[in-house]
Amino acid sequence: MGVPTSSFDLVEKVQGGDREAFSGLFRKYSRRLAVLIHYKLGEELRGSREVDDILQETLLRAFRDIGQFHYRAPGSFLSWLSSIADHAIVDAARYEGRERRRAAELEPLSQVPEPADTKTPSRLLAQKEDVARLLERLDALPADYRQAILLAKIEGLSTAELAERMGKSREAAALLLHRAVKRFRELTGGA
Amino acid sequence: MPDVEARERLLAAALADYVDRQAREEPIDPENFCRLHPDLAEDLLPQLEALADIDRLTEPPEPPPTPERLSGYRILSEIGSGGMGRVYLALDERLGRKVAIKTLSPRYADNPALRERFMHEARAMARLVHPNIARIYSLGPDGEPPHFVMEHVEGAPLADAARALTLRQKAELMRKVALAVEFLHQHQVIHRDLKPGNILVGPDLEPKLLDFGLALDVADRAGRLTHPGEVVGTPDYFSPEQARAESPLDARSDVFSLGTILYELLTGALPFPAATPAQQMRKICEEDPVLPRRIDPSLPGDLQNVCMKALEKDPANRYGSAREMAADLERFLAGEAVVAAPASYSRRMGGKVAQHLQELEGWRQDQILSDSEYDALRKGYDRLTEREDAWIMEVRRLSLPQVSLYLGAWILVVGAALMVLFRYAQLSGSAVVLVVSAATLPTLWIGIRSWKSDQHRIAVAYLLAFCLLLPVALLVAMGEYGAFAGFTQGKENLELFSKLPAFKRTTNAQLWWAMLLSLPAYYWLRRFTRASVFSLVFAVMTALVALATLLRLGMLEWIDNDPGRPYFYLIPCALLFLALGMALERLRATSDSRYFYPIAVVFTIVALTGVVTFHEPYAKWLHSAAPWTRGQLEYLFILNAGLYFALQTLCERFRSAQMRAVAKAFRFLIPGHVMTSLLLLGLEATARWEKSPANGAMRLEARLFELLLPLVACGFVFGSIPKQMKNFFASGLFFLAVGIVRLQQNFFKDQAMWPAGLLAVGLVLMLAAARYAPLKLALARWWRR
Repeated sequence: MGVPTSSFDLVEKVQGGDREAFSGLFRKYSRRLAVLIHYKLGEELRGSREVDDILQETLLRAFRDIGQFHYRAPGSFLSWLSSIADHAIVDAARYEGRERRRAAELEPLSQVPEPADTKTPSRLLAQKEDVARLLERLDALPADYRQAILLAKIEGLSTAELAERMGKSREAAALLLHRAVKRFRELTGGA
Repeated sequence: MPDVEARERLLAAALADYVDRQAREEPIDPENFCRLHPDLAEDLLPQLEALADIDRLTEPPEPPPTPERLSGYRILSEIGSGGMGRVYLALDERLGRKVAIKTLSPRYADNPALRERFMHEARAMARLVHPNIARIYSLGPDGEPPHFVMEHVEGAPLADAARALTLRQKAELMRKVALAVEFLHQHQVIHRDLKPGNILVGPDLEPKLLDFGLALDVADRAGRLTHPGEVVGTPDYFSPEQARAESPLDARSDVFSLGTILYELLTGALPFPAATPAQQMRKICEEDPVLPRRIDPSLPGDLQNVCMKALEKDPANRYGSAREMAADLERFLAGEAVVAAPASYSRRMGGKVAQHLQELEGWRQDQILSDSEYDALRKGYDRLTEREDAWIMEVRRLSLPQVSLYLGAWILVVGAALMVLFRYAQLSGSAVVLVVSAATLPTLWIGIRSWKSDQHRIAVAYLLAFCLLLPVALLVAMGEYGAFAGFTQGKENLELFSKLPAFKRTTNAQLWWAMLLSLPAYYWLRRFTRASVFSLVFAVMTALVALATLLRLGMLEWIDNDPGRPYFYLIPCALLFLALGMALERLRATSDSRYFYPIAVVFTIVALTGVVTFHEPYAKWLHSAAPWTRGQLEYLFILNAGLYFALQTLCERFRSAQMRAVAKAFRFLIPGHVMTSLLLLGLEATARWEKSPANGAMRLEARLFELLLPLVACGFVFGSIPKQMKNFFASGLFFLAVGIVRLQQNFFKDQAMWPAGLLAVGLVLMLAAARYAPLKLALARWWRR
């Protein structure tokens, strides 16, 4: 990570009103954020709400609220984005629920058609075939292994933060991460 | 086994260390790190490489390299990147000028349909040549990445440029921008992305539009507003229909964006500031912006009107085109009143006015406000809520164009009327019908067109001319084609025009039908324009139809035989109009009903007055029922006054402001009727008595009337108090003076005590009035004792 693109500099620039810097900041984080959102969405929402929609909404909100962001550590910007994504997802789910209820009220008897493809891949994620393979491999992991890798590698948390987030001791978290990476590597070998 | 466990723990610790270093953004790579743990390296390295693999996969997409040359122009630098791609500054080495080159992002360029569309749009744009639109010079050749070469505009974005400008310069700038947008619209291009950043202003204050039509067209195709990772498009300048993602958008969506830009230029603030995009969309769709004059009270109201008109939520309420907005800005620059009358004003006031009225009603009930004060305030508020007719103020102003307009309309109508009244040898039959129609129909057409383009002042003149021309044209047509040519009841002497031998014959039936057939047109005009002037036209024409009905019933014969009868038959007409007024008011069409009530009042007064004056059986009845009246007219007028009193009492019972006005009109007549009659009766009685001075009864009658007049006058003076009737007071004072003079002439002839007594009475009354309250209390105490 070179000096001109460090997230601290970029955030500074954006807060100073530089839209170009904003573009750079998002370019830097968009893939990771997309992967995070992909897993945050969960099975049921992933079909109707594409990752890109949430990503778009997250970025719009982040752009508005950038003034409220305070830089603490290198990873804090992505964490901040991640929490905005959580809100966006909650709002989307609420909207979805309301729509569904409304649809149910309107046509209580008609069969609501199932989404044609529940695994609609995000366009952003699909752009690189490798990313799709990454998702496949993450999908194949047990949930707690996947969680550990997502937090550590995608969200960029330190192991202390990881431990806190997962409710484990730092040592246990490190061990979990080690096992997760080991399994992940084995999957790579198998692929 | 414990070895394996211990090793695993060591491995986990090393991995944790590595992850933590990465989280701190420390520069580190797997091989160097493994050197720190040589004994673990064998197992650690593959793991770290797997992690690096994840990093590599989630790395940001590489920005495409800047090409060396495009279309043969040397790329100098990147000057921006938008939703669809990058913009480069390049040098045309042969001409030695700078150009801007717009490229399509490789993401879109991979899609052949999008790529084709991009080039197609650019080709279409290249044909648009306008001084305020950045020109497109050429399209990229096939072998190169998709791009086009356009004029490089040196200038500042509108918002920056406008800061140093005067209001007039801002208005002039916006006028040019609106005209440029209009030019796009005329070539079937909707800009969709108008914002200050897309409008550059050169040092000569000439604005240039950039980025029209392309950005969002491409984005629409891709199904997204903007692509994640690119500069996020802000919906600040979206129109409500854009925010709702309606399609297709029309020119009025751009008008809204122009309104937003004007608002920002004028106030320095956005009309719909919001914290989140979702809130922004909601505000754009639902909320009225803060009025610009609230932000800067020095802004001219006319500019605010233009701005708010463009920012109407409903496209139908906005300017119909950017050209209309430009025309209004031009009017502002020329120092003329603008056409814009934003509907949002009455909406803004409507809710508040309802609250105020409720409060006023409350105050009236608390008796802080008198009924008359309440009615006056209410009338003021009504005028305020009917401000959608604000152009009426302008119609009323006598300006040269206005006077000419109505003079022309009047001459037109008079000319057409001549064709009804007279026969011309050179112009008859279908020809005259054609001529009159040729005058009538275009007035309607022009009127409707002007109304639709918000030129209300002009439209009303045309439509009013049409209202008068329509029955005239119908009459001409009926006259020429002999429709309804039969005489009323078969008798020619019942025909109105038989009394006017100089004119062409028009039958009563033709008159009646012409007016009746015009009514639906007036009704429609009222519905179409919502202008209450057409209610007036409708009401007046209905009154004329009522009179024509009387004509057809044989009014002229009655006038010959029993002149009072037409007035008698006017009474049902009056009742009809009263009922119509009440019905309309019940239907909450108060601006319509207010024209029916005055007609009802006028009909009632004319009918009652006519009946007592001309209806002989009435006078005969009075004579036989009360011989002492000798059937004198004045008694009948006093009876009428009694009727008016009954009517006003009746009307007062209705809880409607308009009915109260009717009651007031009736009440207004009472003192004049009563006291004039008393005076005349008195004079006559005196004259009679003077002829036979010995007659005691006549003397008594004369004296009675002499005394009655000042007493009744005093009664009216005090009677003015409860309903605050100023005319009761004034006419009471007047007739009191007349009565005093009459007493002086007859009763107190040559008695100095009379004027001296009057002086004393006057003085006592004034002194008593000045000490009213203590006096009243003292009297009350004395009374109780």
